[in-house]
Amino acid sequence: MSDVLQETFKELQKIPWFQELEKKHLEKLASVTALRHVRADEVLFHEGDKEDCLYIVLSGRIALEIFIPHRGKIRIYTVEPQDVFGWSSVTPVVHQRTAGATAVVDGLIACIDSEKLRKICEEDHDLGYMVMRRLANVVASRLLVTRLQLLDMFAHPESQNAK
Amino acid sequence: MPNDHKPEIGSTIVIQKETFNAILSRLKEKGYETIGPRVKNDTLIYAPIEQMDDLPRGYITEQDAARFHLKHTGHSRYFDAIPGAQSWKQFLFPPRAELFALRKVNNLWEASTPETKTPSYAFIGVRACELAAIQIQDNIFMRSDFNDPIYRARRERVFILTVDCMYPAGTCFCVSMETGPRVKAGFDLNLTELEDVFLLTVGSEIARDLLKGIPFELASAFLLRNADQGLERAASQMGRKLDISNLPDLILNNLDHPHWQEVGARCLSCTNCTQVCPTCFCWDATDEMSLDGKETHRERVWDSCFNPGYSYQAGGNTRPTIRSRYRQWLSHKLGTWKQQNGTLGCVGCGRCITWCPAEIDLTKEIPMLQEEAR
Amino acid sequence: MVTQQIARPAAINTEHLLEPQWAEVTSITKEINDVSTYWLKFTDPAIQKAYTFEPGQFNMLYMPGFGESAISICSDSNDHSKIGHSVRFVGNVTNAIGRLKVGDVIGLRGPFGTYWPMKELEGKDVFISCGGIGLPPLRPAIYHILHNREKYGKVTLLYGARTPADLMYTNEFDDWRKANIDVQVTVDRGDSSWTGRVGVVPMWFYQFRFDSRKTAVLTCGPEIMIHFVIYEALARRIPLESIFVSMERNMKCGQGSCGHCQLGPYFICKDGPVFRFDAIQPFFNVEEF
Ligand SMILES: Cc1cc2nc3c(=O)[nH]c(=O)nc-3n(C[C@H](O)[C@H](O)[C@H](O)COP(=O)(O)OP(=O)(O)OC[C@H]3O[C@@H](n4cnc5c(N)ncnc54)[C@H](O)[C@@H]3O)c2cc1C
Ligand code: SF4
Ligand code: SF4
Repeated sequence: MSDVLQETFKELQKIPWFQELEKKHLEKLASVTALRHVRADEVLFHEGDKEDCLYIVLSGRIALEIFIPHRGKIRIYTVEPQDVFGWSSVTPVVHQRTAGATAVVDGLIACIDSEKLRKICEEDHDLGYMVMRRLANVVASRLLVTRLQLLDMFAHPESQNAK
Repeated sequence: MPNDHKPEIGSTIVIQKETFNAILSRLKEKGYETIGPRVKNDTLIYAPIEQMDDLPRGYITEQDAARFHLKHTGHSRYFDAIPGAQSWKQFLFPPRAELFALRKVNNLWEASTPETKTPSYAFIGVRACELAAIQIQDNIFMRSDFNDPIYRARRERVFILTVDCMYPAGTCFCVSMETGPRVKAGFDLNLTELEDVFLLTVGSEIARDLLKGIPFELASAFLLRNADQGLERAASQMGRKLDISNLPDLILNNLDHPHWQEVGARCLSCTNCTQVCPTCFCWDATDEMSLDGKETHRERVWDSCFNPGYSYQAGGNTRPTIRSRYRQWLSHKLGTWKQQNGTLGCVGCGRCITWCPAEIDLTKEIPMLQEEAR
Repeated sequence: MVTQQIARPAAINTEHLLEPQWAEVTSITKEINDVSTYWLKFTDPAIQKAYTFEPGQFNMLYMPGFGESAISICSDSNDHSKIGHSVRFVGNVTNAIGRLKVGDVIGLRGPFGTYWPMKELEGKDVFISCGGIGLPPLRPAIYHILHNREKYGKVTLLYGARTPADLMYTNEFDDWRKANIDVQVTVDRGDSSWTGRVGVVPMWFYQFRFDSRKTAVLTCGPEIMIHFVIYEALARRIPLESIFVSMERNMKCGQGSCGHCQLGPYFICKDGPVFRFDAIQPFFNVEEF
């Protein structure tokens, strides 16, 4: 293994859900992954960009934002270490970024090439199952967050009664 | 017979009916306000009575879901009419009670609560179910960790004369609730009305003293058997019945039962059932402020779990639907009450059935949960 | 019940139902847009001296002419010189409280209710998870931990609010962190100037390592948030008996008499507001109960 690959492998190993993977699977994943240092305020991608990577935050904090004309950028979610973002790139249908991503603080992220990831998952369905299972979890938890945000549970009762 | 002769506690004596007037006068002499059933505006209320003639002699009440009819049949008995909407609750737990008054002096609030005299009531004609209801409210208002001073003061002074029920109405089910028709314990005097005489069972020292010098004889075995037979007949003539063997579990295990929706659709949330129920105890406190903002009166008033405002709080209404409010009422009454106080909160008096304008009848609603639960 | 009420609450009048003791507003701290903290001191020094409470308990605050509201005590239970109440202005009584000035008086009855089981929690990791106006009833618990830090293991505070401007007590977070309390904050929505977390409280559980046998979860906030906090705690195998919840209902007396605050067999004012979760679990998912 090259040094870079070795380092990537080590970083991925720290992530709890990767610990379930067999070594050969983790190696395969590492081979399609690049590590990237990000600085505060660095824009990783914009809404509408072409999808190319699935990201895992290793350290730092990434904000997902949507720009609303006349209201500015709304921060809808922050991704914390061990969490995933850019998951839609792994799905076969969505091809544009649905939100922008900006680093809030300096950090390290793992960028998994989505096209290659799809390919290794197709070739090895055991690995594919593990990856998809994890992504299903991520999507489910994002959906829950979105629901709770939609409920606006801390809203002032007066404004809720008005609804 | 010597003039200071007194019957023993636990003994049953027989008196001529007219002698009862003497008992009423003695109660008044001792400072009691004698309250009993009276006919007013075609219904039966509880109000001050001066003498036996004030009692609803010759009347009966016909009762069914959403139906109450006071009828004069001309019989000769005084205590046959099963009560109307009112219960003794209004005397011990008044619908409105002033708690305190305040006056603003400089920047401070000073209490200016008027001194009120606690009335001493003598309840004449408390039925077994009603006595059970009073005992249930005792558990609510006179707990070891909380004492309602208003209730307690009145309760401690009250004289209770109970009557055995001989002719139950169509909505009665005290037998199912194990509260009647025979009065068991907790009275000063218990009265059993036979055709020509009253039997009186002595329950307290106060009652013993009250009877001092009143001409009586101990009730004969014949008369006692007569009374027993009347009570057995009454027990077999309950207008309603309710199987309580699986309460409260039946309700608590069926809180999501579709039948709540069905009742909720019929219920008007009018609060009648809670206002007539002799055990319902929920209350609210309200302030009435003078226009200049310098004086305020705080009152306690009856509330009801059917009032939409009952469960409002920051964040919204906990029970916004009638379905949830009806379920709260019944699941409390015949469910969680048991966990709170050791008994169910219903005594089987039937008032909520008679006075519900929507003909909602808990003896019919509970079995609905039962049937579909299987 | 899990927790017991303290024996003789100092400001409860047993002779006259609902008649309060009077307290003077000694200062007012504006916390956030619709919440201010009122610092109170009894006008009768003897009562001030006798008054004690446990973290998690509440008082009934009375505004003559308007009525009473249940308000948690948010101050340090070791500080006998004043009592703090963070009040959110939502209605009749609370808006009237909002018009009070320093030097005005307010009626107070209490303390009422059960409290956080600080004694039982000794030796445990404490995970406090709350949102919005759910932090004030937990602040006395945090103060208690600060005073007795060595008695508790890992202590985490996970606190969420609607926006960064809705976060309360932020000026104290550094002190808490210094005492080795891991303070984590999240908001439902932020703008680009917010560098903290965006997301909802229950979702951040995955970031923490729990030793489920020695962790206790304390939670208070909007009921819906409490639900999801509990789901997350249970998913991490925290036993029902180690989850403590503070509940809220309309209440008029605080003494288990008026009936308003019932939740199944419980009167939230006396059997709660703090419940061990196993006690309320049977009624927890019954809608509108
Ligand atoms: C144990 C406990 C602790 C608490 N701790 C705190 C605390 O620390 N801080 C705090 O701020 N709050 C706390 N609360 C909540 C607080 O008690 C309530 O917010 C307060 O009682 C509201 O009273 P109010 O008179 O100001 O509002 P209300 O006038 O009663 O209004 C409350 C809400 O209900 C609505 N509402 C009321 N009646 C109706 C109606 N008939 N129809 C339609 N809508 C209606 C109002 O619009 C408003 O949204 C606590 C509650 C409990 C039970
Ligand atoms: S619930 Fe109905 S029948 Fe039972 S005691 Fe109350 S009014 Fe009487
Ligand atoms: S059950 Fe009947 S009496 Fe009770 S609130 Fe509903 S409609 Fe009114």
